Amino acid sequence: MIRVGMMSFAHMHAGGYAACLGKLPQVELVGVADENETRGRAAAEANNTDYYDSYDNLLKQNLDGVVICSENSRHLEMTGMAAAAGADILCEKPISTNAADARKMIDICRSAKVRLQTAFPCRFSPAVAQVREVVRGGRLGEVVAVKATNHGRMPGGWFVEPQFSGGGAIIDHTVHVADLLRWYTGAEAVEVYAESGTMFNDMKAEDAGLLTISYDNGMFATLDTSWSRPKSFPTWGDVYMEFVGTGGVVSVDAFVQHLDLYSDENMTYGWSGWGSNIDMGLIRDWVDCLSSDREPSITGEDGLRALEVALAAYRSVGSGKPEPV
Amino acid sequence: MFNVAVIGAGMMGSLHAGHYDALPDSRVAAVLDVRPDAARVLAEVYSATAYGDIEEMLADGSIDIVSITTPTPYHKECVLKAAAAGKHVFCEKPIATTLEDGLEMTDACRRAGVVFMVGHVLRYFPEYASAKRLIEDGAVGKVGMVRTSRGGSFPQSAGDWYADKVKSGGVTMDTLIHDFDWLRWSLGEVVRVYGKGLLERAAEHKDYALITLRFASGAVAHVEGTWMRPDGFKTSLEIAGSKGLIAFNNEDSAPIKLAFAGSDGAGVEAVPQSPLSAEDDPYRLELADFLTAIKSGGESPISGEDAVEALKISLAALESITTGQPVEIRR
Repeated sequence: MIRVGMMSFAHMHAGGYAACLGKLPQVELVGVADENETRGRAAAEANNTDYYDSYDNLLKQNLDGVVICSENSRHLEMTGMAAAAGADILCEKPISTNAADARKMIDICRSAKVRLQTAFPCRFSPAVAQVREVVRGGRLGEVVAVKATNHGRMPGGWFVEPQFSGGGAIIDHTVHVADLLRWYTGAEAVEVYAESGTMFNDMKAEDAGLLTISYDNGMFATLDTSWSRPKSFPTWGDVYMEFVGTGGVVSVDAFVQHLDLYSDENMTYGWSGWGSNIDMGLIRDWVDCLSSDREPSITGEDGLRALEVALAAYRSVGSGKPEPV
Repeated sequence: MFNVAVIGAGMMGSLHAGHYDALPDSRVAAVLDVRPDAARVLAEVYSATAYGDIEEMLADGSIDIVSITTPTPYHKECVLKAAAAGKHVFCEKPIATTLEDGLEMTDACRRAGVVFMVGHVLRYFPEYASAKRLIEDGAVGKVGMVRTSRGGSFPQSAGDWYADKVKSGGVTMDTLIHDFDWLRWSLGEVVRVYGKGLLERAAEHKDYALITLRFASGAVAHVEGTWMRPDGFKTSLEIAGSKGLIAFNNEDSAPIKLAFAGSDGAGVEAVPQSPLSAEDDPYRLELADFLTAIKSGGESPISGEDAVEALKISLAALESITTGQPVEIRR
């Protein structure tokens, strides 16, 4: 059995990951540790596992791996504890709030000989993976530009407190697409220009971001990271990429497989999604990694590269100029 | 009854001529084109006189209006000569390729006391006009992030003039100036522009641009223009505000979708259709507004100054594409 523990349920994705772990027969979900006892006990109960009131006690349970879903600012601290206990790590995105912490995480894991994976579940969307083959297959010719969005709703909580999250909509919604564009094309971002603002909510963190990213192969991309979906919008948001090539155009809208649901119960219209569960793909791949000798399919360095795009965007907002990544 | 001379007998010239003919207050009296055949063919449709020489045509005192649908580099000469001859002037967008030319044309018309309107026709498209009304009614609260998209395949033209990006300004000048004008009309002045595009790339019969605009209001717009879409002409619009969101795309709102069985049994899809009644046609509304302004002695519905401001945004976008730096717009 692969023994896995969950470190913190501060990030809402923890529930999805735990549910996927519970479905894999080769995995034993050993426990949930969370300093927020109410949250931790509820999560443990929902996933038929034990609650630990300290991370140390959880990490003493001879774990093969841990899933870290704390606030972004605590990823380094959690990684240090897990690495010291010899557990491989699946860390929620963004890898950290800053590049220095992310590098420390990578170094700590290398020294401790534990494997660090960044959680980028969008790579496991079947549509996203299929379009990667189209882009890499050559029929598009040279990809000259990409138009992308990762819209969402304002998540609230610690996500809008920069000391925990590292920022607002830019850090939250840059890294998925930044990772996918590297994964698709192999190109590295070299420069970012960004406009941002707090446009839809009364708060300190930015809820709107529009990045223009230049790549080392001459390609350029824009990415709208805004939490611009109103409460009445029929779905949470999107991950959309359109690749413009000299030989054609291909787009992928990762989360549009849905039913339209009109309900008189509370006079709402909403989407009821039926696409494949991308968390399941991520967790299955990570568990496969834990049970073999291979490197993680998405490394800490991959997490850092994606974070660096968001950090360059913040520098650009500050300077009003394009900034090197 | 206004007698109209159409200069430039291409696609837009034919379109304008049809609307002048259909409107109750105007008729097509003359057609001018440097290509004699093109002028003759269009003139014959309306029993109008075909010309190859502008001086000769403008000497005809019965002509009240000159409607210019030439490639952009010829706009200036036509407008200046028409104004000097005392004709009211309608000019297709973009007004000119430089701000100096646009201002000179605007001044010339004002001094001549003629009405000068520039064809930023998007203001008359019902979906864009409705979106502006909704914004003004407060339907989405304070406008934050706006996204627009426009384009299809590379435009066909006489002499292939769009392929000369210096003459046409490519997609950023020729196509996106529609959205730039509509955005400025709806959201106010633009203060900063940043863009990426293929302007300077050796990509024959291809152009693509992604432009970011920052408005004085604080709003931000993402503007996409493409001449690289093989699957038909598409437009879309999204306006996200503090209290809601407006979304439009021309495919989803097209009431007619067609597919026919091909000879080999495979299906053949045709372009979706979105018809309007004749009186709601955006070009009809635009030219009717122009005639109303002339009749009433009123202001031009879309002035040379408006057109120059839209041109400023296009030129700033092109400068940003060239320099790689954001460009502040001063006025």
